[in-house]
Amino acid sequence: MPKAMGAVKQAIPAEIGGVIDAAAGSSGTVVRAAAARKILPIVEGVVLIAALLAPLVLQDYLTVFATRVIILALFALSFDLVWGYAGIMSFGQALFFGSAGYGVALLARDLDITNIFLVLPAGTLIGLTFALLLGGFLLLGRHPSSVIFVSLGTLTGSYAADRLARGWYYLGGQNGIPSIAPMSLAGYEFTEGPAFYYLVLGILVVVYLLCRFLVRSQFGLALAGLRENEQRIAFFGYKAQHLKAIIFTIGGAVAGLAGSLYAFHEGFVWPNMVGVVVSTQVVLYVLFGGSGTLIGAVIGAIIVEGVSFWLSDNYRDIWPIILGLLLLLVIMFRPLGLISFVLGERERVGSFGAKPKEKRNAAP
Amino acid sequence: MANAFVAAFEILSFGAIIVLIVLGLGIIASMMGIFNFAQGEFVLLGAYITYLAYAKGLPIWAGMVAAPFVVGALGFALEALIIRRFYAAPIVAMLGTYALGLIIRESVRGLIGGFYLTVPEPIGGSIDIGAMHISAWRFTIIIITLLVMGLCYLLLSRTSFGLRVRATLENPSLARASGISTPLIYGATFAFGAALAGLAGALIVPVFSLFADLGLRFLIQGFVAVMVGGVGSFIGPVAGAGLIGTLSAALPWVMAPVVADVLVFVLAIVFIKFRPQGLIAGKGV
Repeated sequence: MPKAMGAVKQAIPAEIGGVIDAAAGSSGTVVRAAAARKILPIVEGVVLIAALLAPLVLQDYLTVFATRVIILALFALSFDLVWGYAGIMSFGQALFFGSAGYGVALLARDLDITNIFLVLPAGTLIGLTFALLLGGFLLLGRHPSSVIFVSLGTLTGSYAADRLARGWYYLGGQNGIPSIAPMSLAGYEFTEGPAFYYLVLGILVVVYLLCRFLVRSQFGLALAGLRENEQRIAFFGYKAQHLKAIIFTIGGAVAGLAGSLYAFHEGFVWPNMVGVVVSTQVVLYVLFGGSGTLIGAVIGAIIVEGVSFWLSDNYRDIWPIILGLLLLLVIMFRPLGLISFVLGERERVGSFGAKPKEKRNAAP
Repeated sequence: MANAFVAAFEILSFGAIIVLIVLGLGIIASMMGIFNFAQGEFVLLGAYITYLAYAKGLPIWAGMVAAPFVVGALGFALEALIIRRFYAAPIVAMLGTYALGLIIRESVRGLIGGFYLTVPEPIGGSIDIGAMHISAWRFTIIIITLLVMGLCYLLLSRTSFGLRVRATLENPSLARASGISTPLIYGATFAFGAALAGLAGALIVPVFSLFADLGLRFLIQGFVAVMVGGVGSFIGPVAGAGLIGTLSAALPWVMAPVVADVLVFVLAIVFIKFRPQGLIAGKGV
C-alpha cells in the first residue's frame, strides 16, 4: 500500500511538470515572436484606440461605467508601480486612494473648493503625504523590513483607516460623505458623461506615459533589479530602501489622484474606499492583468471590471467565487498574468543601450 | 470590585479567543514559514459547519466536534493540491492563500447571504459567584483554550510527531536525509493548523454570530499577534495573541472603542518595527 501511494505521488508531479513544460514551450515561442515584432507598443496602441472610441459606440450609462473603469485603471497603475516594479506588497493601497477621496470631498463640502486645478493636485498631495509617512515608517530604518512586515503594515493601515472613517462623525461615519459638488473649470462643471470620460482618459494617458518613462529609466531598471534580487542591488551600491520609499510615495500620489477623480465621479465617498475591500480589488486587477507591465494593470482593471459588470445581472453571487478561482489559477500557472500570453519577458524589463543580437533563438 | 472582576473576565475570555485563533496561524507560520491568509476563512468554515449542524437539528456540540475534523481534512487536501507548490516563494504563498481565502469566503457568503446568523450557546446561562454573573460559555472557551494550548505544547514537545515537525522546521534537508517524509509532515502540520482554526470558529460562533467577514475580522488581528509574538516558536505567537487579545479587550474600557481598536494596531506595528524578532525570539517549542 505505501508503495502504491508513492507511485501516485510521483505520478502527479510528473504530470504537472508536463503541463508546465508545455506552457513554457508555448510562451517561449511568444517570447521569440515578441522580440522580433515589439508587441508592447501594439498592445498599448490598441487599448488606447479602443478607449478613445468607446464613448462613441457605448450608451450613456455605459460611458459612465467606462469612466469608472478608467479611474480604477489609474489606481491599478499605482499598485503596479509598487508591486510590479519594486516588489513591495502593498495590501493597503486603498488607504491613499480613499484618503485622497475623503480629502477632496471635505474640500468640496466645507470650503466649496471644486476647481479642478486645486482639487486634483490636493488629492495627489494627500496620497503622496500619506504614502510618504506610511512608506517612510515601514520601509526605512536600520534593519531592512521583511516583505511580510510591509504587507501586514499596509494591510493594517488600510484596516485602521476604515475603522476610523466609520467611527468619525466629521467624516460621515458609516454613510460617508454624500452628494459632493461636481468638479469645475472656469464655470464648466464636470458631471458624468463623455467630457468627464475624456478628461479621465487624458489624465490616464499622461500618467501612463510618465510612469512608462520612469520605469524605463535607470531608476526603473534599478527597481526591477530590486524586485528580482534586493541584496544584489544593494551590493551594487544602490540604497535599496530609499528606492523603495520613493516608488511607494509615487505610487501613493498616483493612487491619490485616482481617488480624488473617483470621489468626484461617483459624487460620494464611503468608508469602504479606504478599506481592505478596495485594497484587495486593486491587487486582483494587477495580478490578473500582469504585474510588472504597466499596460497589464490597465488591461486587468478593464477585464475584471468589465466581466463583473457583464455578469452582475445573472451571476452576481458566484462571480466573486469565479474571480477567486481564476486568480488562484493565474497565480499557480501564469504568475505574470494574462498579459504574458502576448508579451514576452524581454519587454517587461525593457532594453537598454545597444540592442542585444537575436541569434541564439532565431529560428532557421 | 464586582465590576473589576467582570471586566477582568471579559478581557480574559477575549484573550482566550484570540489565542485560540492565533494558535493554528502561529503553528503554520512558525513551523512552515508560510503566512496563511486563508486562516481566517478556516475559522469561518468551522463556524459555518457548527451553524449547519444546528440548522439541520443536530446537537450543537456535534457540529463543534465535527468542525475541526472537516476543516483539518480540507486543509490537508488543499495543502496537497495547492499550498505545496508555494513553499519556495513565501510571497506567492501569501497571494495564493489569499485567493483561496477569497474563494472560501465568497462561497460561504453565497450560502448564507449577507445575514448575521446566530447559533445558541450549547452551555447557556451564567455562573454566579456571589453577586457576579459570568457567562458559562465564555468560561468554557477559556477552559478549552487552556486545554488545547497544553495539548498542542505536549504534542510538539513530547511526542515523536512533534520531534519530526521540529526537525523539519530546523533543517528540512537533514530531516529528509534522516528518513522523515517532509511533505507528509508539512501536510499534517498544515492540516493541524487548519483544524485548530476550525475549532476556534466552532467555539466562537455563539459569541460573535456567523457572517461572511467573520474570518477577515480575526485574520489581521491574528497576523499582528503572530508578528508581535515572534515567528518561529510555539510560545511566541501564543504570547503575542495573549498580549494583543488582552489589549484589544482592555483598552475599550478606558477610551472610545474605535480609537482603542486602531491604537492596538498602531502600537503593534510600531513594536514590530523596532523589534522585528518579536517578543520571544528563537526557534523550537
